[in-house]
Amino acid sequence: MSAAAAEATERGEPSGGGGEIAYVSYGGEHHLPLVMSLVDEELSEPYSIFTYRYFVYLWPQLTFLAFDPKDGKCVGTVVCKMGEHRGAFRGYIAMLVVLKPYRGRGIATELVTRSIRVMMESGCEEVTLEAEVTNKGALALYGRLGFIRAKRLYRYYLNGVDAFRLKLLFPRPDPGMHPMMMLGNERDDQHMDSPYL
Amino acid sequence: MEASSSSTSSPPPPPPPSIPASSAWADASPLLDAACRDLQDGELIHGENFSLFGAMSALEIMDPKMDCGIEKSGYYSIDEAIEDGIAPVPLSLDRTLDIQRTLDVMDHLFSCEATWHKGHTLAQTVFTCIYLMRMERTSSHAILNSFCRILRATCYAVVSVVSTARTHEEEDLFTMSFGLPLRDEGDEKCLSILNSVEETIARQLRACKAQALSRKKTLEGLESLQDNPDLEEDYCRALLCRLRFRKHFYHVVTCLRKPHGRGLELARKHVASCLTELSLMLNSRDFLRSQSNNTQQQGDEICTTASGVRPVGFDASLNSRLLSPAPPRAVKLLSWSDAIRYFEKLLHDLDIICSSPLDPVLENVLHFVVQFQKSVPDLVPRAFLQTLLVQDGKLYGRDLSCDVISRALSLPDIIGDKEFQMNEFVVQLGQLVINLLKILCTNTAWQRRKLGKSLQDWSTISIQLEFALKREFGETRNVLPHENMCMRVSKQLLVWTQEHTYWVAYRFLILGFELDLYSPSEYCMVYWYMYVVLMKLIEQMQLRILASNENSRRKGKKKKDHSKDSSRDTAFPSSCLLLQCYVLLSEGLSMMLAALRNESNSFQLPSIFNSEQERFIQHFDLLQKARLPEHITYYSFRESASHASIADLTKYNFFKEIHKITPSLRGSFASEPEKLAEIRQIEQVAEHNRIALNIISQVGAGDPSLRVSFEFTHHPHFAVAVVKRS
Repeated sequence: MSAAAAEATERGEPSGGGGEIAYVSYGGEHHLPLVMSLVDEELSEPYSIFTYRYFVYLWPQLTFLAFDPKDGKCVGTVVCKMGEHRGAFRGYIAMLVVLKPYRGRGIATELVTRSIRVMMESGCEEVTLEAEVTNKGALALYGRLGFIRAKRLYRYYLNGVDAFRLKLLFPRPDPGMHPMMMLGNERDDQHMDSPYL
Repeated sequence: MEASSSSTSSPPPPPPPSIPASSAWADASPLLDAACRDLQDGELIHGENFSLFGAMSALEIMDPKMDCGIEKSGYYSIDEAIEDGIAPVPLSLDRTLDIQRTLDVMDHLFSCEATWHKGHTLAQTVFTCIYLMRMERTSSHAILNSFCRILRATCYAVVSVVSTARTHEEEDLFTMSFGLPLRDEGDEKCLSILNSVEETIARQLRACKAQALSRKKTLEGLESLQDNPDLEEDYCRALLCRLRFRKHFYHVVTCLRKPHGRGLELARKHVASCLTELSLMLNSRDFLRSQSNNTQQQGDEICTTASGVRPVGFDASLNSRLLSPAPPRAVKLLSWSDAIRYFEKLLHDLDIICSSPLDPVLENVLHFVVQFQKSVPDLVPRAFLQTLLVQDGKLYGRDLSCDVISRALSLPDIIGDKEFQMNEFVVQLGQLVINLLKILCTNTAWQRRKLGKSLQDWSTISIQLEFALKREFGETRNVLPHENMCMRVSKQLLVWTQEHTYWVAYRFLILGFELDLYSPSEYCMVYWYMYVVLMKLIEQMQLRILASNENSRRKGKKKKDHSKDSSRDTAFPSSCLLLQCYVLLSEGLSMMLAALRNESNSFQLPSIFNSEQERFIQHFDLLQKARLPEHITYYSFRESASHASIADLTKYNFFKEIHKITPSLRGSFASEPEKLAEIRQIEQVAEHNRIALNIISQVGAGDPSLRVSFEFTHHPHFAVAVVKRS
């Protein structure tokens, strides 16, 4: 899937002027249209409403929204999942979007960091996602968070661009304290390499 | 759903036998109605097995991003489009315009074909041509008909080679034909049909020339292409090169498929002819442009015809309903100029394949494929190479893979030996070799993934072989002069297996650079791992050379192929020396990066969620799982990196050492231009890094004004340090 929120230059603190951005965990049906319109606007891949529901209903705790307090506008969002994948409990960042005028203020970093933290606390061993090889901003952002480029996926996107599969491995806890798996039965993951032909 | 919503009074059907008779049947309609009233647009009933794949497979009808059926075609069927006159036969009643338009159709089809090769569906490219969809309509138009027929036959042959090579999803789009009319009974005759059309036009061209010389008015018995005698010759030429290109290209495709590589020589001649015709096609552009109506011309970057005019007879959206239920991929057709460039590259790649000496020595085959991949060939030439290398599970359809292995062991005595062939290790290794050849023909992204996965198989066989050897013959691994044949074969097989395991591991690592998988903060550990793997590779290679020297020494001078063997013995040390250069580059770069990390805090990437150890584990997971090599962990890397210093590096300068090796290498590779070029690149990398190291050492790595970055300007796998002061 896509993760496109170029967050190039500076990181960390939001720059002044616009005031503090407010970050909110997915709160229910009223947030869904906000998430959908942001993603539809910014990402190349088309998603049906079922895809959004799949994520936000099963893992609402992994979806976050960023609001500009000035006008209450939703300016960014992250949508994720987690589950069993080939014997590992794995988090997956499906969509990450920040509106163009708000980029470079650390909003994407903050959104995705919140999701990753929940994943880590939920017992995930690793986190993965795909990003277009041309999306330098996203690649730099995830690189700073400790993701490596594990694979290149040839012509992954409908627009013909290659993708990188990015992976973040969490440090292993003591072998005896292996976290319990909560969600299972994710047989669909084997199709993730190519959701479309 | 069996619950009936009909209100007719017919008795309910008897329950199927699978349902116990005791079950009571009830009408569920009211419940369903209520549920439907409760559901809003876009809501769904969430079953436990609702999967992402299910969600992503759902298409929203009439959403232009997803529903390929709604693309705004004015026509609902091909027949409707034809009735509306978008693909007239003849293309115009004006005979000159008819020829112009025929040429435009040919050119546009050429652009479509190149676009198809570049990874789109036939339905969205070549078969957007209505003449091709309804070929019978063109039977009265000999030129167009013969062109379309041979094009269709070529497409069919190319689909067939790509499906035969079948390696992964890359070719899925390529070979999907959606029931398109890709094959027809008359297509075997496409060459003779084309030849007769070509002959007619060639005669007309000769007549034109003769006419120009003798200034005669007309020539009886010949029919002109069109009505303007002044243009006749140019139109003849423009048509001829296009028809001849098709003819030769069809020959190329069929010759390359001949078993055992028997058609390579002939294919090569046709490749040369294709290139000639391509340049003639390019030459015809000025004339065709001058004849076309300027107002219809498109820019060169987008126009799909030589004349610049949009062709008649195509509808890009008619076929979209034939596509699988997936969102439509955006198809941007290659321009005619880009299509020419694509075919030139394709033909050069095919020419390399034709130049294959059909060498049965595995090392040379591997080198050939790796060299071929350097020019980043597209799917079609890669498929051709694969079908040449592997036919019926044999190398070139000719050499059994067990014979390939025994040849590699320098044990010609056991070629054809049944016991050797039946040995379970040899059978398994034979399959691995065949798979390796297939994998090496895939695109680099896929290749790396498959190579990584195959490491486990290689290493498992190594371990089993080693175990079997210990069980049968005890601990010693050195080849002794007086041991029995069986033991010698087993030992050499083990060495050979390990050497190839490390060859695969090394290729896996360097492809990561080509695919841009490593970030600068990871270079240090990647070069360190490359160094470790290369050392093992050299070790195994030397063991193999030792053993094969021993074999030829035993054989003495009685064998007639002695001279061949001894030339190979002397060739091996130079391949070891070449690897030695890579060892020095890898170790030098790794230690230089480690020193910079230690002394200037650069090339490190602290992150809040994990540490370098996790990144190490992830990058080398497949190697570690395959124990390549054993006892290598993150701590081994950290241990050797932590002591690196610029001062030590300048004392023992790896980059300087390389210059001691390369002169003798130049001598041994004097007749191999590719290897000489490689040595030149190695020297450049070494020289640049040597200078960079000196500057860093003079300025001091800790100097805050120092900026060091790494670039791949001289070699795709070995970086060059660029030093700047701010």
